[in-house]
Amino acid sequence: MLLLVVSANLVEFSFMHIIRSGRPFIDFMQNLLVMPDWVFMPQLLTKMLETVEITLLATAIALVISFPLGILAAKNASPCPLIFNVTRNLLSVIRSLPELVWALVFVSALGLGPLPGVMALAVVTVGFMGKFFAESIEVVGENAVEGIQAHGANRLQVIWYSMLPQAMPDFIGSLLYILDHNLRAAAILGLVGAGGIGYDMVMSMRLFNYNRIILIVMSIYLLVTLLDRLSVRLRMKLIHGQAREALQ
Amino acid sequence: MTSDTLPPKPKRFLWIWLLFAALVLILIARNLEINFTTLIWGYQDIIEYFSRYGRPDFSEWRHYSALMLQTIAIAFWGTVLAFAIGFALAPFASLALTPGKISHQTARETLNFLRAVPDLMLALIFVSSIGLGPLPGILALGFHTGGFLGKFFSESLDRVPHGKYDAIAAVGANFPQRVMFAGWPSVMRETAGYTLYIFDRNVRMSSVLGLVGAGGIGLELHDTLRLFNYNQATALILFLIGTIFSIDYLSTFVRSKLK
Repeated sequence: MLLLVVSANLVEFSFMHIIRSGRPFIDFMQNLLVMPDWVFMPQLLTKMLETVEITLLATAIALVISFPLGILAAKNASPCPLIFNVTRNLLSVIRSLPELVWALVFVSALGLGPLPGVMALAVVTVGFMGKFFAESIEVVGENAVEGIQAHGANRLQVIWYSMLPQAMPDFIGSLLYILDHNLRAAAILGLVGAGGIGYDMVMSMRLFNYNRIILIVMSIYLLVTLLDRLSVRLRMKLIHGQAREALQ
Repeated sequence: MTSDTLPPKPKRFLWIWLLFAALVLILIARNLEINFTTLIWGYQDIIEYFSRYGRPDFSEWRHYSALMLQTIAIAFWGTVLAFAIGFALAPFASLALTPGKISHQTARETLNFLRAVPDLMLALIFVSSIGLGPLPGILALGFHTGGFLGKFFSESLDRVPHGKYDAIAAVGANFPQRVMFAGWPSVMRETAGYTLYIFDRNVRMSSVLGLVGAGGIGLELHDTLRLFNYNQATALILFLIGTIFSIDYLSTFVRSKLK
């Protein structure tokens, strides 16, 4: 409670401020109640397509990179403790910067356009996906591992034939989660000029094009919800479907 | 068992799927006009560029720490708001506790909506409606992560053995009593863990909220990069990594204690 009071001063937070800002907020929302600008539709669609493409490309690149990193960062699959610690901490450092900061750096390095967006998103995703992969490999059951070892399998064979198949449903679950997260992130990457719908959003906000803002917000909401529903169904089917198969 | 009694080996089309995925990705790269070969050929430029970040300039560290403190305070307040939203909506969204079908649907759709709109977009909307400063940042973070917390809370409320709810309902408890005496006490630890995780995430997010004018350290970073002050930008980035890393570590530690 004390912390709350002290920090309230720091963020200039007061209930008077909230109450006073109610009126401008309502005014602003009234501005949004306009007829959408249908002329903007083709541009909106290409930009949304670009956003989705950035998401897919970045996730695919990150998948390829984080797969070996995840194996190295798992305690039971890593070849030696030193490599385990180094990859673990590397992934932590990558994760600690938000994707927009990476995007800022990459935009000033590579120029405007979708390329820095893809790079920034891929880098942050490697940090997260590597960690998730490592964690799902670490909780793998020991029985299958010992069974394979008893047949004289070497380290790589143990990882390939006993650890990865067991961790697969978990992998897919976190992949779907990350895809979801990345779509949301790609929608705002344009804020710093890294491609996607975000740039149009900022521009129409600055130019007070309310009839475009409403279209952009609605389309992002629709797309994210669609992917959310789809990933819930896929997850049900893949994870629980495989669990049933294993039980039989 | 002889080999002819075994069922046929299942056919797998993994390679065809992988090929298809690769094809789609190539088409996407073509469409986005991304050329990875230029990236490889330009590696000297890239190395040269990143070498500009070599000398961090910590001369304004007082200013940076004040901004960092504000950033953390924004994340803290955002988390408090998110907790309040999650706390209020989760019992309605939980299938085991909800008083009626309509309230269940309404609460769930509200939470879905809050989660679907990215927080920076919310921040943009709040900044242009109620002005610059930390308050729009707090509201954006709070509403967005409130959607997440509400979902997590309602899922853990659903996982509680239903006998607890039945038992307390059998002695005549009404909806708020069931929530307060059977629901929350059973999921206290999980709730604390989720809230810490969200706080963690909010610190990361609030450091970029400044980009849209919603307070915190993000604006400073944006400005230094625009003015090509690479030394100060390095200092800021190192500051950010240090803070987020330690908060991450701390919250992981506390969460492992909670379990």
